[in-house]
Amino acid sequence: MIRIVTARLIDLAFVLIGISLLVFCMIRFIPGDAVAIMLGANTEVTPDRVAALRSQLGLDQPLLLQYGRWAWAALHGDLGTSLWTGRPVVDEITLHIWPTLQLTILALALGAGLSIPAGCLMARLRGGTADTLLRLGSVAGLTIPSFWLGIVMILALATLAPSLQLLGYVPFFDDPLGNIARLLLPAICLALPILANLSRLVRSALLEALGQDYIRTARAKGLGEALVLYRHALANAMIPFVTSLGIMTGYLLGGAIVVEQVFAIPGLGRLILGAISERNYPLLQAVTLLVTAGFVMVNFAVDLLYRVIDPRLRG
Amino acid sequence: MKKRSGLLLFAVLAVLVPALLAVGADFVAPYDPVGQDIIARLRGPMATHWLGTDQLGRDVLSRILYGSRASLLVAAGSVGSALVLGGGLGLLAAYYRGWLERIVMRLMDILFAFPVMLLAIGVVAVLGPGAVTAAIAIAVVYTPIFARLLRGPALVICDADFVAGARAAGATDARILLIHVLPNLMGVILVQTSLLLSSAILVEASLSFLGLGTQPPNPSLGLMLAEGRNVLLLSPWGALFAGVAILVLAFGLNLLGDALRDRLDPRLREL
Amino acid sequence: MAAMSLRNILLTGAMLCALAGAPGARAQILEVGVDASPVGLDPHLITAFPSFQVVSGTIYEGLTAIDKDLRVQPGLAASWTVSPDGKIYVFKLRPGMHFHDGSPVEAADVVASIHRVQSKDMASPMASRVGTVAQATAIDATTVELKLSEPTAPLLISIATIAIVPRGFENDKASLQKAPVGTGPFKFKEWQPNGFIALTKFDGYWRAGAPKLDGVKFNIVPESATRQVGISSGQFSMLANIDAATAMQLKGKPNVRLAETLELAYSLIGMNTSKPPFDNAKVREALNYALNRQEIIAAALFGAGVPGGPLSPALKDWAADTSSFPCYKYDPAKAMALLKEAGVPMPVVITMNVLPRQDIKDIAQVAQAQLNKAGFKVELKNQELGQFIQDWRNSAFDSFASTNGGSTDPDDYFYRTFRTGGSTNVFKYSNPEVDQLLDSARQMPDQAERKKAYTKVQAILACQGPIAHIAYGQIFSALRSNVAGFDQIANRSLVTLSDASIAK
Repeated sequence: MIRIVTARLIDLAFVLIGISLLVFCMIRFIPGDAVAIMLGANTEVTPDRVAALRSQLGLDQPLLLQYGRWAWAALHGDLGTSLWTGRPVVDEITLHIWPTLQLTILALALGAGLSIPAGCLMARLRGGTADTLLRLGSVAGLTIPSFWLGIVMILALATLAPSLQLLGYVPFFDDPLGNIARLLLPAICLALPILANLSRLVRSALLEALGQDYIRTARAKGLGEALVLYRHALANAMIPFVTSLGIMTGYLLGGAIVVEQVFAIPGLGRLILGAISERNYPLLQAVTLLVTAGFVMVNFAVDLLYRVIDPRLRG
Repeated sequence: MKKRSGLLLFAVLAVLVPALLAVGADFVAPYDPVGQDIIARLRGPMATHWLGTDQLGRDVLSRILYGSRASLLVAAGSVGSALVLGGGLGLLAAYYRGWLERIVMRLMDILFAFPVMLLAIGVVAVLGPGAVTAAIAIAVVYTPIFARLLRGPALVICDADFVAGARAAGATDARILLIHVLPNLMGVILVQTSLLLSSAILVEASLSFLGLGTQPPNPSLGLMLAEGRNVLLLSPWGALFAGVAILVLAFGLNLLGDALRDRLDPRLREL
Repeated sequence: MAAMSLRNILLTGAMLCALAGAPGARAQILEVGVDASPVGLDPHLITAFPSFQVVSGTIYEGLTAIDKDLRVQPGLAASWTVSPDGKIYVFKLRPGMHFHDGSPVEAADVVASIHRVQSKDMASPMASRVGTVAQATAIDATTVELKLSEPTAPLLISIATIAIVPRGFENDKASLQKAPVGTGPFKFKEWQPNGFIALTKFDGYWRAGAPKLDGVKFNIVPESATRQVGISSGQFSMLANIDAATAMQLKGKPNVRLAETLELAYSLIGMNTSKPPFDNAKVREALNYALNRQEIIAAALFGAGVPGGPLSPALKDWAADTSSFPCYKYDPAKAMALLKEAGVPMPVVITMNVLPRQDIKDIAQVAQAQLNKAGFKVELKNQELGQFIQDWRNSAFDSFASTNGGSTDPDDYFYRTFRTGGSTNVFKYSNPEVDQLLDSARQMPDQAERKKAYTKVQAILACQGPIAHIAYGQIFSALRSNVAGFDQIANRSLVTLSDASIAK
């Protein structure tokens, strides 16, 4: 167990370094650098001012040196300051991570929470027309574009409930009810594919388990169909369930860019989009690293969790 | 069993009908997709324009047909390249094992850890927007997915007796991989290709929605959605129908993958 | 990494708790919906419109001010005198003014602000607006003297855009970006990036009775449809500076009214005169004939705009009437004939870079269709903003479709854009006659004489210049019907928020 964890940790470090290097290079290959954007279009700027600004920001140094400096500082917990506002990058992230976290949790709770009863229902109705319809519905749920759904929701809001004042974001501690009410629509938007995906998972895991000996035994012992489903078969669905949950958490943390945009939620997705268009190198590096590292860590944790859930993998 | 083939048939139709309409856009579309008619703009559905007109008076139906064709082309091109590249890497990793496997798979992990949209946006930002770069971006995103998906089953097959037998009989590595291993993976490949085509349609749509895919005035479903949302409360039709078209394309392909999975191998369900 | 994010979460929690005690009830706060987040708030460093919108005239003021007819009015300076040779300006400050931090506004602060803008280290994009100020001196606490290196007719307009900040920030590039300190009717309160910027009433404002509001909150809502839902539901009381497409959708909505005016900004097609085909003046003229400006306005601006020449019709004192430009009459046949005359191979294949903004994208698409009917073959390149700016700055384009902010004085725009070697002459345009006219006009103290020179310049530029000016649009703000006192201004400034109020 310890050996495996160590090996995975080494791989993890490799992946994190790779990611930071990739991000660093990628954003600097984007044409149009920070200085050009900072100076804006149709403003008067002389070449020596451009040069001065570049050297102030350290952008005139060799790439590898810039990376080395950044990585060294990052290792010491200093992620630098935003190119534009001069605020520490950590502060920018702190401000934006909270709405995204909340949205993620709400979407997961909605999607995963509903998926278990939905999956059970689908399993119980197996083979019937209702099963087929539910299945078509779940495929639709998986393939509905979330950015489109967001726009349709806004359209519906405008036509059906024009006086509802539910836009933007208020911090939870200012107004707990208002906070959740405002996050509900975007959370539903994000939860739909999660619900579709997980309920199918639950369904197929249940069906598979139902065919197995221990379930037949349980049934033979006279336990009710419902109890058989929930008690015994559900445990079997846990592994793929947790895996999918892990991957989805990672993606959700990456910021649902368009959904945040449509519902005006000041989260990580907006921060990332802004950082790209402003070429805010330190900010973009830090956020991307944070998001991808978060993704890798969640999956690492899921990996460990497997071994806890399933004794066969413990070796 | 009967029910299953019914579902498969339905899925095949759900893919074929829109795909044929899109491919045959030149013959089916009632109007030139970039032809403007400023006076007749922002109309709802009517007899002359079944799905209405957009903000420059272009026929929405024609733009959807041509846009679907563009979406399908990008999706097919990107998933195809990702299959060859990522699948190949996954296969090699599974066959040779050892350091090669470890390095290849960790490299794939790096790419895989990026949120899909972020990686795609990054690639497009570097290469400049356009349909071709959108395809490249999606291919980059899907390469690690194919590698991870195919390595697992390939590991099982490479351990099988008939592979050891072929090797003992003096077959070359290339021959073993192509003749003995690959055919046994066809089921997985078919299913995953279909599923990933479906999500490639969605990624392409979001890229062009953000202005990074197919460039105006050429029609693209995501672009129509982006253009339509600016006049959403004035005339929601363009945005609505473009979204439905994306849904239809992605839905058919996803259902097909799903039905194929049932049909080809029930054991593959958990993958 | 995990530990760090955990710490951040705790930090966030603590900050949120601190915010929870903020007052909310009863105060007259104007909730404004805006589309983009400012990237900084330092008035001498910002270049982007979302930043100006929040700080100009609300937090910061200059020595002079621009009124809604775009004419110069006293600002922080109550009065001024100009020497007969036009080279010495003496400004007299209003007595008893204070900065938001409580310190008095003195001549030394004005001098420090001008030095700050001129400083090489600051690299302010506004430096050229005070480029001819050779020496700034504080005569006494309320008197400032500016000595110019040469007479500069537009100085009083330029100086209106130079915000006065307290002395002490001359070497500080960071502080004001985060927490501005000015003299305006509102002071900075809080900024949640991508969320909102809150300003609150400045009790020590020099103008008695202003502001009427207790505060202004700029809510950043990128999606146009979402902003519309916000004002329809009454969550927002104002959508500032919206385009025609958004305005059309709000027209006739209950409890919503529109304030509008003809904008100073304009849409344009720029041409690179340093390489074929646009090095040939006939090709540039042909492009003008090939454009149907009325159709572009109908399509992209929803009819809310007017065709414009080199100067906005809003500049009533300067602008020449477009009927005096022959090439403004749509005539594709004439365009083809001109191309033939120019001897360029037809169709004339060009690329057009497009600024990423929906109205400009629409303008480009309509223009493309029109040009393609008149002997051109246009390939549109829809670029991301950074790329667009880079290509613009490097003159890496055949042509581009864009929008320009527009200036309140002709010299500011013409000299840097069309003078040989001008700082924003990315078209590499060079015309000795234009150069000569511009050089002499900026030194003419006589308004009528200046006007004559600029009329001539407009005639030359309209048809054969490097810019095909397309249209000046209406600019709108949407207001809840209980908001009074706000005036829409052509330069998009929200300075009149100081007179706005909300009826109960």
